[in-house]
Parts: sequence; C-alpha cells; structure tokens
Amino acid sequence: MKAIKTLLVLGVLAISTLSFTTVTESTSYKCMIQMINYSGENAYVVISLINPEGEYEKTLYVQGDDDEWYHDISEWWKFYGKKRANIDAITGATIAGGARNISVLEIEDSKIDTGYSIRFETAVEDQDYYTKDVEFALTKENVKSKKEGSGFIRYVRMMPN
Amino acid sequence: MTISIWRYSHLALAVSSFMFILLASITGIILAFQPISEQFEPYKISDFNSVTVAETISNLQDKYPEVIAVQVDANQFVSASVITNNGESLNGYINPRTATFIGDKIEVSKFFQWITNFHRSLFLKSIGRFFVGFCSFLLFLIAVSGTVLILKRQGGLKSFFSKIVKENFNQYWHVALGRLSLIPIIIITVTGVYLSAIKFDILPKSAINHQIDFDSLLETPKLNTADFSVFKNTKLSEVKTIEFPFSQDVEDYFIVSLKNKEIIVNQFSGAVLSEINYPLVTIFSNLSLFLHTGKGSVLWSVILAIATVNILFFIYSGFAMTLKRRKSKLKNKYKKDACKYVILVGSENGSTLPFANQLKEQLLKAGETVYIAELNKYNAYSKAEHIIVMTATYGEGEAPANANVFLQRLKTIKQVQGINYSVVGFGSLAYPDFCKFAIDVDNALALQFKQELPVFTINDKSVESFQEWISLWNKNRNLPITISQQKLAAKPKLNHTITVVDKTIAETQLDRTFLITLKTNTNKFNSGDLLAIYPENNYRERLYSIGKVNNNIQLSVKLHENGLGSGFLNTITKEAIFKARIIKNKSFHFPKKASKVILIANGTGIAPFLGMIDENKNKAETHLYYGVRKRESLNLYNQSIKENLNNKQLTKLNIAFSQEEPKQYVQDLLKQDALFIAETLKNNGVIMLCGSTAMQNDVLAILNTITTQNLQLPLSTFKENNQIKTDCY
Repeated sequence: MKAIKTLLVLGVLAISTLSFTTVTESTSYKCMIQMINYSGENAYVVISLINPEGEYEKTLYVQGDDDEWYHDISEWWKFYGKKRANIDAITGATIAGGARNISVLEIEDSKIDTGYSIRFETAVEDQDYYTKDVEFALTKENVKSKKEGSGFIRYVRMMPN
Repeated sequence: MTISIWRYSHLALAVSSFMFILLASITGIILAFQPISEQFEPYKISDFNSVTVAETISNLQDKYPEVIAVQVDANQFVSASVITNNGESLNGYINPRTATFIGDKIEVSKFFQWITNFHRSLFLKSIGRFFVGFCSFLLFLIAVSGTVLILKRQGGLKSFFSKIVKENFNQYWHVALGRLSLIPIIIITVTGVYLSAIKFDILPKSAINHQIDFDSLLETPKLNTADFSVFKNTKLSEVKTIEFPFSQDVEDYFIVSLKNKEIIVNQFSGAVLSEINYPLVTIFSNLSLFLHTGKGSVLWSVILAIATVNILFFIYSGFAMTLKRRKSKLKNKYKKDACKYVILVGSENGSTLPFANQLKEQLLKAGETVYIAELNKYNAYSKAEHIIVMTATYGEGEAPANANVFLQRLKTIKQVQGINYSVVGFGSLAYPDFCKFAIDVDNALALQFKQELPVFTINDKSVESFQEWISLWNKNRNLPITISQQKLAAKPKLNHTITVVDKTIAETQLDRTFLITLKTNTNKFNSGDLLAIYPENNYRERLYSIGKVNNNIQLSVKLHENGLGSGFLNTITKEAIFKARIIKNKSFHFPKKASKVILIANGTGIAPFLGMIDENKNKAETHLYYGVRKRESLNLYNQSIKENLNNKQLTKLNIAFSQEEPKQYVQDLLKQDALFIAETLKNNGVIMLCGSTAMQNDVLAILNTITTQNLQLPLSTFKENNQIKTDCY
C-alpha cells in the first residue's frame, strides 16, 4: 500500500516536470538602433515579434519606460494593452534624435527561417507614429545585417551573439 | 522709491500662479526624497575615485564574452549591460574593480514616476509642461520682487541680514525664511525654466557629430584594451557612459561620454579618432538637472526640500498677510467736502487702521462728520476744521506704502480755510527711527496749519497710550470720545517669567514710593528698557523703566490711589511669580562711549539711572541731577548712591528739594551749572532725562536756552546727534 502511494507521487512528479520543461532554445542578439537627426522629444521604440499571419506574437523590447505614453503606439497597444504582460526586464530609456542605442533581444531559434518577422515601430510625442519604421523577415541572413528605417530610425543593425 | 509697485507685483504674481506653485511644491518635496533614498543603496565602492577606465573595461571583457555598455550614474554607481557565457543578457550594478554583479538596477518606483510626471506636466502633456515652466518663471519673478521688498524693508544691501523687527508671526517668518531660502529658490526656478525650455526646442541644437574618416582606420598596432593609454589615463569617475563596439569590424568603435566631452576610440589600436567638447547648452542642461533634482547629493536634496517647504509657508503666510490688510479697508459715510474732521492714515501692513477706524466710528457716534482716507489720497477738504494724521513709519524712518507721496501732495494741494492738526505716530521702540515719519509729517503740516497737540507716539500698538491721547484730545476739543478697547486690543505675548526678590514698603515712605527687585529668566536686557506688566491679565498694560542692578530688574514705583500697575506691584509678596514682557528701548541705553554723561531725573525717574550707575564699572564720568520733594524722599536710594559715589561710579550728585528751603527744582540746578552743561554737550557728552513730562518740558526748554546762549546752537542739533535721550511719562 505504502509502496503504491510512493510510486504514485513519483509518477505525478515525473509527469509534471516533463510537461513544464518545454525546452525552447533561444539566442540573444545584439541590436543597434541609430536614429535620424530630428528635434523634439525622445522617441519611443517598440520591437515586436510578428507571426507568419502578420499578427503580434511577442514584445521583444520597449525603449521608453513611461507607460502613460504606451497607448500612443496604437497598433502595438491593441496587442499589449489587453494583457499587459510584465515587460520590466525588457524596457529601456527613450532614444533622442541622432542618438543610437544597443539592446539585447532574446529570440527563440524556432522563429528563424519559419516565416516570422521583427518589427520596429516608433512614436514621438506631438510628432509622427510609424507602425513599420523597420520590419524584416527573421532569416539567418537578416539577423546579422543592417536595415534602413523609414521613419525616426536611420538604420538597425543586428548580430547574433 | 515706490514700494507699492513691488508689493503689488509680488502679490499679483503670487495670486495668478499659486495653485500651480502649490502643486509643484508639494510634489517637489516628495521628489526630493528619491535621490536621498538612492544614495543609501550600497552600490558605491569605497575607493571609486581611483578606478581607471582601463581596469573596468579589461575586467568586464575578461569575464563576459560580450559587453554592450557601461554607465556611471550621479550616485557613482556603475552599471553594465553584458551577455554572459550562457548567452543570457544581464544588466545591473557591478563592482568596477572586479566586474562582478552586485545588484539589479534600481527601478524608479511607480509612485515616484507618477509624481515626477505630475510635477513636470500635471498629466497635461505638452500644455502642462508649458504651464509648469511658465509658473516656474513667475516664481522666479516673485523671488526677485520679494528680494527688492526685503531690501527696502531692511534699508539697503548692507543691512540685508540685520535683525528683522517682529510685527507678527507671518510677517516675521515670511521675511526671515525668504532671506534664507532666496538663493535655493532662485536656483530651483531658473533651472526649472531651463529644463522646460529644453523640451520646447527654444534652445539651440546640441547634437554632436563626429567626423570619422573610415578609409584611414587601421587595425594595427593591435593592443590589449587594458593598455590603451586613453583608458589608462581616464578615471571612471569622469565617465558618464561607455558604449562598446557593436562588432569586430574596425568601423565599430568605443564611444566614451565623459563629463565634458565625447571621445571615439579605435577598438584595436586605442587611438582617439574624434574628440568633441559638449556645447554649452549640454553642460547647462546637465547642471540644471543636477541643481533641480539634487541627484547624487544628499545635502543638496535636503536643501532643495527645505526651500520647497518654505515655498508652501510663503503661500500661506503671504495670503494671511494680504487678507489681514484687506480686512482693514477704509469706508466713509460722508463725502470728503462735507466733513469737519479728516482722519489720514499711513500704514504699511494695516495695523494702524483699526485705531483710525475706531476714532472715526466714535466721532460719528458723537454726531460729528468724519472723513477717513489714506495719506496718499490727501486732497482739498473744503469744510475740514481738523486733520488727524495717524501713521506708522517704515524701515529707516521712511513713509509707509500708502503714505509715500503724501509730503509731495501736501505741498501742491492747498486748503482754503484755517485748519488745526494733530499727529499720532505708531511704531515700535525696537526700531532705531521710532515714529520718525510721524515727526516729519508733523513738521511739514506745521508750515500750513496750526498744531493742536504735539506729536504723540504709541509704542507696540498700545491701546492704553492711544486712550491717553484720546483724553488729551477730548479735553482740547471738548469731545466725549471713548475707545472700545476690546476691538483694538490684541493679547500681548508674555515671554518672561518674573520672580519677586525683594520689596520695600510703600505706606511707610513719605512719597508712598517703593523699590521692587525682580528676577527674570533672561539676562538680555539693559537699564532703560521697559518692563510691561498686565495686572488684570488682559490688554491693559503698564510700563516701567528698568534699572539693571546685580542682573536683577529694579523698579522704583509710586503707589497711586487705585493705581492699576502700582497697586498690583505693591500687593504682590516676596517670591511671587508672574508673567511680563521686556520691551527693548535702544534709544535710552547708557552711552557706550561718551566723554561725560549727565543724568537728570525727578521722583521715580531715578530707577533706570540707579541701574546705569551700578553698571558703570568703567567709571565713565557721570553726574546726576535729581529732584525730590523732601530730604526723607532720599531714604530709599541713599545707601546705593553713597556707595556709588565712594567707588567713583557716580562722579557727582546734585539734589533739588522742592518742598524744603531753599525750594528748588532740578531745572534750577541746571541753570546754575549752565556752563558745565554747555561744555559737556560741546565735547560730545550725553544728557539723559527720565521722569515726569512736566519736568521734561521745562528741562528741555532750559537746555535749549543754555545751548543757544553758550554755543549759539539750538538743542535740536544735539538731539539729532543723539546726545539728548529722554524717557518720560
């Protein structure tokens, strides 16, 4: 009787450990954002992972730590605003015109070369909002390249670590 | 100069912006605690100032495969962003000597974030930012106009930090704290305006553009980062941020932001590729941010917090003073050309107005026609028969705010009919120029009108003195005016505890006079100061001239029938304790340096002189002229006077007995010694007078004769030179 009980407990433990350790290999990438020389407030930059259907899947980084402005980044806000996932670990300061910034992004290896893309959207208080300032497909080639921006971003450089 | 423009601007600015200033101050006080709390975090290493950039960079590069950036904040905490051997990114505080992680980055709490936001924009985004910046500018103007007001009040730059005369709590502390927090407040406001201006693009652009010739970049000679001379020669304490090269490409480089410049360093050779000093705008911006927030300095944060608490107090006390001033507005029942009596008031902060209003009301009650106006509104009054001026004095004998153009108007505006006038001066003996403006007004009025009563001075808003004047005036005018004391009297502040040490018996003395010795809890008083007692514990005040004998207060008191003060002092027994107030009377202190001093007194007027002689340890040449009724009257003082004559603290004593042969008054003694007195005044000696007003008038007349005959100068010359000091009752 006692032995069966112990076995049962062990069994439950084994199953639960297996099911919760979904092994996801991921790589960190260095990402440099170079801004154009504009004047005015510092820019909010949100970096998101976009699934093959073109929808938001995950927030990778937020440059801008004052959440009262988040709703101005309206497209992303529709995704983020509902759930408000904890992004404290992946937020940094806003970036000034002409400045550059380097951050580290964690991207799961399963998202490379599988139709996923990465999006950089930018907004500046009292100025413009660019939903797709920079957006490109996550391919082995692209994650070590330099991409030109169309809004407040001059270019983005990425490099696997 | 017109003080009212400054006062008006000071008030108008405050009224228009106080809501914003109030909000910004409260939030500002809270925010001051953020840098203070950060400073107590344990992330600063002890010998931080000796760490070089080379040491920290090589340590980091040894320990981590990838380093992205290093940052040194205002608290001298060093943080780094790296990628570890496991491929994880790490961002937090490090020990710059060992490159080990010692803690996560301090997250500014949601609460402080929220308050910060409110502080700089009131949650109104750009519009809010503009408002806050603008109000900061208004506060700056308030500080400037406040400084001008203090300068005027104190009488110039030299006496900016001299003692402030305390009129009431709000006024005193408004000025006292204003002086102290002036500089921090100006710094807070100027930097606040500057920080807002940055946000609005008003200042010139401050972007740094490095020009780098990428074609000439060399990968050789290749050195270890630790051996770069630029890194070895730079201390980490000079650094704000170091951005590491993005990749191994020679076109990627170190960007090092120092306190005053930004440099670009080749990642292979350590050569400095570009070096640009920050433009002034950036340096000012950084300085403003530090001065406005106090980041990195506990002391400055505390100073900012205290200065901001003071702003709250200024808002409170400023409005309290304004309301008080408003309360005493002037209202008239009759038109100016219909009135027999005209009351003209000069007041700086309105405290004279209740007295004037009382007089007006009582005159109306008596069926007279009265018109009341500020001195500055002086005009032609076609039916006026009598003008009463009731005025305070401001600063060093200047006119108060609403009386500053009176003397000019008096010269230009002419009255047709003959008019009598009387002047009542309000002031405090604590000021050196007690009631000076009232005296100036009296002199100016004398040129056009007939003086009915001489200038009457009232110390510290004494209702008793005012009543005294009223009764004099009643007698002259044949009027039945009485003043409601309750309306005027403010309860006095009794800050001294008095214990009775000794007392002689009045009833057995010929003149019913007694000496009383009192001990106080302070030593800060001099012979000639006044002791104010309140026998019924209400507004009724009695003043006695103090003689300081053996550090005790000695009073000489004549017991009057039904006398309020003398009765009280006569009934209290040895060791009884009561509360009283000591009033400084600077104009009646024994001169510190004078060739000779002549003291003139009659009756109980000897009290302050007994103290002065007792304290005359330097044995300055001192002559006493004293008038009493009979020889026995001297019994009370005989012993101490004899002692003082023996030890030379009193040079000579001259006594006049008014009821013993040869019947003489003290004036007669002076006449006999006319040459000696003239000589004394000529050689800068000082004459002091204490006793009855009747004696005072006679003595002053005789002194005037003496100086005009012997020195060809009127007595007023010596009065102005402070050689004649009087304290009579």
